[in-house]
Amino acid sequence: MITVKHASKSFGKTRAVRDLSFELQPGQMTGLLGPNGAGKTTTIRMIAGYLAPDAGTITLAGHPVAGGNSPTDPVAARRNLGYLPESAPLYTELRPAQYLDYRAKLFALPRRERRAAIARVLDQCRLTDMAHKRIGTLSKGYRQRVGLAAALVHNPPVLILDEPTNGLDPAQMRTTRALIAELAADRTVLLCTHVIPEVERACARVLVIAGGRLVADGPPAEVGRRSDTIQIECRDTESADDERLLRDAITHALGAGSIIAPVPKSTAPNRSDEAAPGWVRLAITPDPARAPTPDHDPQAALARALAGIGRPIRHLASTAAPLEERVVDLIERTAHHESDPGTEPAPGPAPDPGEQDGSAP
Amino acid sequence: MKPPLRPLLAIAGREVGSIFRTPVGWIVTALYALLTAVLFTLQTIDPGGPATLRYFFTPAAWLLMIVAPALSMRLFSEEYKAGTIEPLATAPVGPALIVCGKFLGALASVAAMLIPTLAYPIVLAFLADAPLDAGAIASGYLGLILIAMLYLAVGLLVSTTTDSQVLAFLVTLIALVLVMVAAGPAARFAPAWLLPVLAELSIQNRAAVFAAGVLESRHAVFFCASSGALLACAYASLTVREGR
Repeated sequence: MITVKHASKSFGKTRAVRDLSFELQPGQMTGLLGPNGAGKTTTIRMIAGYLAPDAGTITLAGHPVAGGNSPTDPVAARRNLGYLPESAPLYTELRPAQYLDYRAKLFALPRRERRAAIARVLDQCRLTDMAHKRIGTLSKGYRQRVGLAAALVHNPPVLILDEPTNGLDPAQMRTTRALIAELAADRTVLLCTHVIPEVERACARVLVIAGGRLVADGPPAEVGRRSDTIQIECRDTESADDERLLRDAITHALGAGSIIAPVPKSTAPNRSDEAAPGWVRLAITPDPARAPTPDHDPQAALARALAGIGRPIRHLASTAAPLEERVVDLIERTAHHESDPGTEPAPGPAPDPGEQDGSAP
Repeated sequence: MKPPLRPLLAIAGREVGSIFRTPVGWIVTALYALLTAVLFTLQTIDPGGPATLRYFFTPAAWLLMIVAPALSMRLFSEEYKAGTIEPLATAPVGPALIVCGKFLGALASVAAMLIPTLAYPIVLAFLADAPLDAGAIASGYLGLILIAMLYLAVGLLVSTTTDSQVLAFLVTLIALVLVMVAAGPAARFAPAWLLPVLAELSIQNRAAVFAAGVLESRHAVFFCASSGALLACAYASLTVREGR
């Protein structure tokens, strides 16, 4: 539905987007994540035809928007697009019904269709009661809904939403998210945001952009995933030799690059996951070079190693890092690589999200 | 209604609506009507004088030098400032349609502002002994519309280049004044070979022809062609902005 191939865009000396490529399939809701200034808004503005890329090709619903050998037809492409720009810019002197009528006319809807479309989106966006109030007097949440209704009035198959919950209070956020989830049922949606839990909840696929590049592409559960951290609770070490023996056993089982750290004591009252007296809790991040495979299960290997040295354990569990942590990690690694190209390179996007195995990139 | 016409009229209609939905539009209309009424009373209602609106049309054209930039300054600058250009530019309408729609809307607003001045020929018809020359009056109004077209096209082009309405107003006003001064008072300092060019550029000379009730197609062509060229520049300016 949306194809971006090798798109680049610079503003003066700033390279906002660099050699970006991805494709969105019909009926999929995709989250576009990245820190401020990563190139998210520039990317969606290029797809919407508001900005022309310096290089690369973009097609929307089969119509070339920019680049390529065939003549571009951004106007035809935009007929299939519902676009909500960041902070939903609106004409404050108009009323929602007037604004929606204006938008429907821009899409050349005939009068009868226009009336039905306006009634439909007012109802869909829970705006019927506000239809005749001046937009300038509406709260931010309602304005956001007017923007969303305007993006939907021509019933487009593709929706691009830029920070749709930005600046909303928690109740407004909840209703807007529910509305977007409802809209995504039969549309291709590209949701651009920096609210990671929003994407984790709603999107089947995540694209992470940092420094203008695509650094990850896949389902939320897989993006940026390294081996899960394993928490163990074992008998506290009594001597330095005991401790060294424990570390050697762990690194032998999980790789020399494994990170072993004590789990900090929680300050929360009545914590059930506190170590019992005489026991210690450790968080172990396996060496990224030893990715889990069908033949190598890190948890089983660790249990065997601890049994091998006769260290009693009473708890062993794997915990996946939350998406937020993984995305921040990806972004930091990209920033680190940009400033010091000699280090481990930033991970490139997976060729096929379905093929990702969760191994360290 | 054919599809491209509907978005064009929607854009034009919104421009007219946004001018008259705010007090500014009504204040400008009222001031224009008041000033032209004063000029009409002082210069046209002259017992024993000829029953002509010539002395109304000439200063009315001068006043357009301020009214037109006041209307055109917001056409694009306001959209840039408020960010509303983004949903507009991503609707299935090209830059040409946006430029034409906004221009038509601004021109319709000027036409609406001229409606109260239609009272003057009616008053004059009551006061005059001889019947009025309807053709001369139509020519005078046509002249005002053509001059407004040119002034609005200059203002529209300037407003595509900045998000500051004040700057758009001042630059347009200065540009119009510069052309007027260059083709008027400053012309006597110009070399002889430049004089015909400056005379052609003089909007006031052309306005005087229309005010006198003379309809010459070359003047109408001048206003239409120059407005068209300026709108083409505005289209280019918007296209360049998209690729920025």
